[in-house]
Amino acid sequence: MTDAVVCEDLWKSYHFRRPVGLKTLLVGASMSRETRFARTWALSGVSFRVARGHAFGVVGYNGSGKSTLLSLLLGTVHSDRGKLEMRGRVAPLLEVGAGFHGDLTGRENVFLYGSILGMTIKEIRDCYERIAEFSELEDALENPVRTYSAGMIARLGFSINIHSPAEILLIDEVLAVGDARFQEKCRRFLRAFKARDGTLIVVSHNMVELASICDEGICLDMGHVIHAGSIQSVIEAYRRLVAAVEAGNHAQRAA
Amino acid sequence: MSVLGQRLELLYLLVVKELKVRYKSRFFGYLWALANPFAFAFVYWIAFKFIMRVEMENYALYLITGMFPWFWLSAAVVQGTRCYVVNRSLVMKVTLPRAMLPLSNAVQEMAHFAFSLPVIIAFLMFAGGYELDPAWLWQIPVLIALQIAFIYPLALLFALINVYVRDMEYLVNLGFALLFFATPMIYPITMVPEDYRLYFELNPLYALMEAWRSSFLRGTLPWRHAAYIAAFAAIAGVASWLLYRRVAHKIADLL
Repeated sequence: MTDAVVCEDLWKSYHFRRPVGLKTLLVGASMSRETRFARTWALSGVSFRVARGHAFGVVGYNGSGKSTLLSLLLGTVHSDRGKLEMRGRVAPLLEVGAGFHGDLTGRENVFLYGSILGMTIKEIRDCYERIAEFSELEDALENPVRTYSAGMIARLGFSINIHSPAEILLIDEVLAVGDARFQEKCRRFLRAFKARDGTLIVVSHNMVELASICDEGICLDMGHVIHAGSIQSVIEAYRRLVAAVEAGNHAQRAA
Repeated sequence: MSVLGQRLELLYLLVVKELKVRYKSRFFGYLWALANPFAFAFVYWIAFKFIMRVEMENYALYLITGMFPWFWLSAAVVQGTRCYVVNRSLVMKVTLPRAMLPLSNAVQEMAHFAFSLPVIIAFLMFAGGYELDPAWLWQIPVLIALQIAFIYPLALLFALINVYVRDMEYLVNLGFALLFFATPMIYPITMVPEDYRLYFELNPLYALMEAWRSSFLRGTLPWRHAAYIAAFAAIAGVASWLLYRRVAHKIADLL
């Protein structure tokens, strides 16, 4: 079995790279202390491999480094240390409506977004009917996207991404906004995608969904991998982490 | 299709997006693209032909033929400087070739300039008694190419700096407001005292604007100015390319 994604000892810090004003350049900035949301290393030594045709779940608290990890996998940010290999074309579903423009119609956005994903206009035209059909948006495709609900935008984004020739899909919570029936349709599609040797990386707080799609995964806390293994064991590790943090909070409040 | 072909399609779609967004929801639609420059030129013509009679032959035409290329230049560079900050989700959530954004600004403003070309020529003919000059057929495309080559590296350079130091967009704005008066735009270079004239002539924006005016008003393209613009564009091109190679992968960290 071949690996589609290889991550070895990834380190990422945003700390030394902040936009500055002229004032800070002249006067200098003050240092802040390490917290959950403001620490030096967003990711510290993250390693994992995902085999082709597998789905990989990433869980953790807000601010644990999940989104940073997805950004690294997509290539929009670069790691400070470590090795990362993505063996295949990547399509991102990181934010509902990213890359869409509200004043353009659904149809026009299909072409713009498809082109951003690296498709040619001819490729998009060839699969436009299938994209439209999968999204079930019908006549709404001729209306400006700003009139869409969040669920409709998610449908459109999902439909374009899965019709792009990507071999690796990155998904960050975006399925949560679709209605139950569409979610079920997406799950069916994702299983079929896996069966065709497509690889999935899924970030979610919905443990039921993760358990139903993913094979393996990791649990992140403060940028560290605190557990890696089968998705069931990862979910268990996350529950233990939640319980421990709850207990800690109670202890703090009591003190 | 080659990667370059796909990128050109993406550029086309990005530019069309902006034009659609700007005009689509207006009642007069694309008519505004023509009506705007016409109204502007008409106001200038009335103001300087009949009210503020400046002692200079065809002063209104001198203004109009310089002003439209200037609008293109300043709008493209000012917007280009902000392109990464404004299009945050295009940088963070999808993998768009990042050098594409300032280029799409330059091309989109070029489209607006193209709409003003018939207006300029109409005013030359009906207000100035000029005849259609066949030399324009090659001079205008050459000037457009020179101006794109001039704008793009400048906008890319400022856009990259603006990611680090957000004050850049204000400095660029202010810079263009000052340069408008420091470049012979509303006065001829002959009005500058002879001792200072050399400094005014060293300004590459003067060379660019004078080349446009010379082509429109005299039907000649001064090679001295064209070469100077090309040299400046080449230097800015190398500088922006070097900076882009160094910092392009860090843009997302700073947004």
